[in-house]
Amino acid sequence: MTRATEAPKLDKASSPATLISRLAKRSIFRNTRRTLLTVLLISCSLAAILFTDAFVRGMVETMVEISTQTFLGEGQIHRVGFREANDIDLYIEDTTTLYQQLNTTTAIQAFAPRVLTGAMTSSSENVASAIVYGIDAIKEAQVSKLKLAVTQGDYLSGIDGEIIIGEQLADLLEISLGDRLVVTVSEANGGDLSQALFRVSGLFSFNERNMDIGMAFINLAQGQKLLNITGVHEVALRLQHLHQAEDKSLPFWQTLNNDQIETLSWKELVPQLSSMLAMTKYSTLIVSIIMYILVCLGLINTMFMSIFERQTEFGILLAIGTRAKQLFYQIMLEGFFIGLLSVTVGLLMAFVLCYWGSIIGIDYSELEMSGLTLNEPIYLILDASSFATMGLATLAVTLIASLYPAFHASRLQPSFAMRKTL
Amino acid sequence: MITQVDIVGAPNKVIASQNTIIETTHLCREFGQGDTLVKALTDANIIIERGEFTAIIGPSGSGKSTLLQLIGGLDNPSSGDVFLDNKNINHMTGTELSDFRRDHIGFIFQAYNLIPVLSARENIEYIMLLQGVPAAERNKRVDRLMHAVGLEGLGDRRPAELSGGQQQRVAVARAMVSKPSIILADEPTANLDSKTGADLLDMMKELNEKQNMTFVFSTHDPKIMERAKRIIRLVDGCIVDDERRS
Repeated sequence: MTRATEAPKLDKASSPATLISRLAKRSIFRNTRRTLLTVLLISCSLAAILFTDAFVRGMVETMVEISTQTFLGEGQIHRVGFREANDIDLYIEDTTTLYQQLNTTTAIQAFAPRVLTGAMTSSSENVASAIVYGIDAIKEAQVSKLKLAVTQGDYLSGIDGEIIIGEQLADLLEISLGDRLVVTVSEANGGDLSQALFRVSGLFSFNERNMDIGMAFINLAQGQKLLNITGVHEVALRLQHLHQAEDKSLPFWQTLNNDQIETLSWKELVPQLSSMLAMTKYSTLIVSIIMYILVCLGLINTMFMSIFERQTEFGILLAIGTRAKQLFYQIMLEGFFIGLLSVTVGLLMAFVLCYWGSIIGIDYSELEMSGLTLNEPIYLILDASSFATMGLATLAVTLIASLYPAFHASRLQPSFAMRKTL
Repeated sequence: MITQVDIVGAPNKVIASQNTIIETTHLCREFGQGDTLVKALTDANIIIERGEFTAIIGPSGSGKSTLLQLIGGLDNPSSGDVFLDNKNINHMTGTELSDFRRDHIGFIFQAYNLIPVLSARENIEYIMLLQGVPAAERNKRVDRLMHAVGLEGLGDRRPAELSGGQQQRVAVARAMVSKPSIILADEPTANLDSKTGADLLDMMKELNEKQNMTFVFSTHDPKIMERAKRIIRLVDGCIVDDERRS
């Protein structure tokens, strides 16, 4: 049987490297189904790792935002020792200078001064303890979500006698809008009891039990008067960018810390959240390592199946003069091509999944984690550096997984590999 | 005539003649150990001259293939030495041995053993690519050999698209393309019909006579025995007869 036309002349490349590369490329598609299954295994693993990474990034950002934007702020200023002792006598006296300093610091977008104390709240029906905050209504709205959290009635307007309380505290005290509420506190610098009568002007809900049952807000001036102080206990900060809270080398962190006042970032204010987030990142690493081990084992299995099937062929290649090193490179190249294909498919899959997750978001409504209620969907965050790093890591893993089969193939004795063929 | 020559790994060894291309001395190959010890080849001493057309015959399990593997450097002897072109191949490193096989030995196997992912042309060209032969020279040699083995027009076919006879022709062309001094063939006609087998043998005989290539066959095929100038008979791993024909 002959063909009408002569076979085309081969390419001009004459190096053994070209030959090895050609053999490797063709060999990976010798068993297309097996190769595609392997590619699917690796690419799905890569996509899963990147999806997990994007999800964790989204979750971390959501949790930090919920934590800082709800009420905490990205940083807080206190009198030195206040947080440890929770002593209302330790307040910041020279607020004028501090406010000037805060107004001139470009990294600070807004700030909200507060006084706070443990108080007894009494209605005609019941009594409950709560932390009463005296706040500057306008500044507070620029820093926290208190104004947005008001579900009934009105936010504070600056008039004496206004108080807004959590819905659950209102249920406990069996009161509603317009009802009277007596707040009893200890005055600073002496401890005399001080009482004031308020009317409930608004109810709020942060969807977090501790806040909704344990907090009440009055105007700053009335709070100062109630506590018999002129300063503030706390100044919550809203920074221009969230990452500034983590960058302690920024100058304002130094200027706002002295022997009188201390300025702390959210990471220091809620270390349990910070630790939990760090642990989450380690979880991603552990998941990635497990995935990579599975990828490694899967690829080694595939490569060995392929090698055992082609053992005779390797024997022939070695017999006719292929060096062991060249056979080693051929197997490594096969692993590289499988890896390259898998990484390409995996990155595409991951991009589609993560992009979808970044638009639609994943709803974890009402789920509470580390004291935080995830009342907003988690939007996945695509990170180009993660895609690049994980892609390269996957390629490296496929090469590492190819090492053992490549060593095995290159160390074959031709006579053994060919068995009884010669 | 006895000549003293320099031999790799065994300097000052006396070999039979400068025309000697293959020499084995006290060659033994054993498999297993203790109760399971099998002596596949025992004290084989052979001298093959350049240009001989030799058939190694014997019943199955007599050690023919083992002897051929040891001569081709595809296996390591338990004891003894193999000298090819005055070089002791047992003292070569892995890379040296690979290069030696590539440049000096052509192999033809019973089961053709072509590389399935390469076309017929690429299979023939393979060894030259390893040697780094320029494309023009490669193409010239491949064209000439394909013509010689009657495979013109089939160069772009993969082995699976060729008949057994055509595959064996490709294997013969591959074995000869690098112009080796020795061709080792393991029952090359066993899987071919008698006419195809006879044609191939005639082609190899012609190459042997015209180009003075040395052929060593392991075979049961009477057609090869008829054409062989020398027949070495093996029984139970021992050489029992060595017949030269005029």
